[in-house]
Amino acid sequence: MTARFSATPYLFLAPALALIGIFVIYPILAVVYFSFTEWDIVRPPVWVGIQNYQQLVADPTFWKALTNSIVYLLVTPTIIALSVGLAIIVNRKLRGVSIFRALYFVPAVSGSIAIGIAWRWLFDRNGFINSVLISIGALKTPIQWLSEPSLVLPIAMLLTIWAGIGYYSVIFVAGLQNIPEELYDAAQIDGCNSLQKHWHVSLPGLRPQIVFVSVISSLAALKVFDEIYVLTNRTGGILDSGVTVVFYLWKEAFVLEHAGYAAAIAMVLLVLTLAFSIVNVRFLERGQERV
Amino acid sequence: MEKAEAIPARGVPRFRALSTRRLATASVWYALLILIALVTVFPFAWILLTSIKGPTDLLFSTPPQLLPHDPTFENYGHVLDALPIPKFFVNSIAASSATTIFNVLVASMAAYPLAKLRFRGREAIFYLLLATLIVPAQLTYIPSYLLARTFNYYDSLPAIILPSLASAFNIFLMRQAFRGVPNELIDAARVDGAREWRIWLQIAMPLVRPTLATVAIFTFVTSWNDFLWPSLMLPTPDNKTLPVGLAALLSFFSSDFRSVAAGVTMTVVPILIFFVVLQRQFVRGLGGALKG
Repeated sequence: MTARFSATPYLFLAPALALIGIFVIYPILAVVYFSFTEWDIVRPPVWVGIQNYQQLVADPTFWKALTNSIVYLLVTPTIIALSVGLAIIVNRKLRGVSIFRALYFVPAVSGSIAIGIAWRWLFDRNGFINSVLISIGALKTPIQWLSEPSLVLPIAMLLTIWAGIGYYSVIFVAGLQNIPEELYDAAQIDGCNSLQKHWHVSLPGLRPQIVFVSVISSLAALKVFDEIYVLTNRTGGILDSGVTVVFYLWKEAFVLEHAGYAAAIAMVLLVLTLAFSIVNVRFLERGQERV
Repeated sequence: MEKAEAIPARGVPRFRALSTRRLATASVWYALLILIALVTVFPFAWILLTSIKGPTDLLFSTPPQLLPHDPTFENYGHVLDALPIPKFFVNSIAASSATTIFNVLVASMAAYPLAKLRFRGREAIFYLLLATLIVPAQLTYIPSYLLARTFNYYDSLPAIILPSLASAFNIFLMRQAFRGVPNELIDAARVDGAREWRIWLQIAMPLVRPTLATVAIFTFVTSWNDFLWPSLMLPTPDNKTLPVGLAALLSFFSSDFRSVAAGVTMTVVPILIFFVVLQRQFVRGLGGALKG
């Protein structure tokens, strides 16, 4: 309203901008620089040009990590399908259903390290899963689930899915409750059975929630670390079978102290995240056009 | 008329048939709900049962032994001897509380002018913040690590509190909430001569209390469970938070799983209590995240 300059808005913003400048923007610029250096964090970095990137392209572990991270994105469609299903189940007006909703939420608040340990114990050689499989006769000798290269990543993904469903289904329940009852009535008049009603009414109605969950769960999947760390006991699994981009970044930077090389891995993570964000935004825009 | 008489005669058995059918459908739904609950809760139950198993109880047997024959709390004593869990707990409380309080403060201060004031550069700042949302935190770890070492706050709680205060996501949630505050109220206060700071604190803040609660709860839980960054920043055992301290139990895995289970139980129970107490706010906050 007044044309007079006021410092007030900037003062309100100052703490946030200072923190974001120091802890987000400076680190991004610094990582770009470090990715062109050889550096062990302790001694000053030495400029080496694109050497790290050349090394990265020729590094089989890096390709393994990149492949694993992309495979990990399969958790997103699975989580969406299962948590929409669960939301439809717990959205029924049944007595005591809120207790069940709370129980389903438990893995989401318990913390990835605690649930990772719980799962490692289940899948241990001497764990519950082997014990049950042997006693029903499905197995003769125990399987070393987490030492089996082809099983590490699927088990970690299963863990992520298991921990996420209760959390994301809360978002879908809220979405379902926003869908007007009349739409379901209209579908019924058109002769839809209850499954068809959900297909034709619930799914389109949940579109904003589906887009939101697909964005946050795919960004989370690209950053997976804790599950791998616990399930593989910090090793990344035999033959790097469970190594993801963030796990490899961590290992190179903080275990092997190849910080310059790790910075190059971080740049790949940034490009990957940007690419996914663009895909997600496109998807969002296309959805809005259709509605 | 004929019809009206016919209804009670046929209606009674029909009503009964319907209600048995209803009962049957309800029990199918409950069976499904219980089955899913078993899947989500069983790993925790198994940990809890393992943590109270005595030395003569089998950890591995076929079929698995569910209940301990010889229940004991000794394992809790073992893990408390091996690790300073009360200390981890205090560190976690301190770090998560400070992170939450400062996050709410910083985010609601930054969000207010973005929602309610007009000034040069507002759009530019807004889009800058939007862009930082997609940057993975892991990307910043190497330079942030260097900062912590250079400025000597490495191996202390500020090292994990400070970087987490730069949360564009919380600013967005708060901005959405402030946009819902009626302009008339703010203008009226201005006419009365109130300063912008007072309007923010005394008029706008009380009206966005539900969003403040959401931001606070989710910031607290995220901070409580945060692992990777604290594990890099807190090498000294006495400075560790619960998840970082818990990860130290991984090396006990094969030798003494009863103690590992006791450690996990002790760390999960506090956050579960927190969740049970604030359950409604969790659900409302998460459900409302997309509105506004």
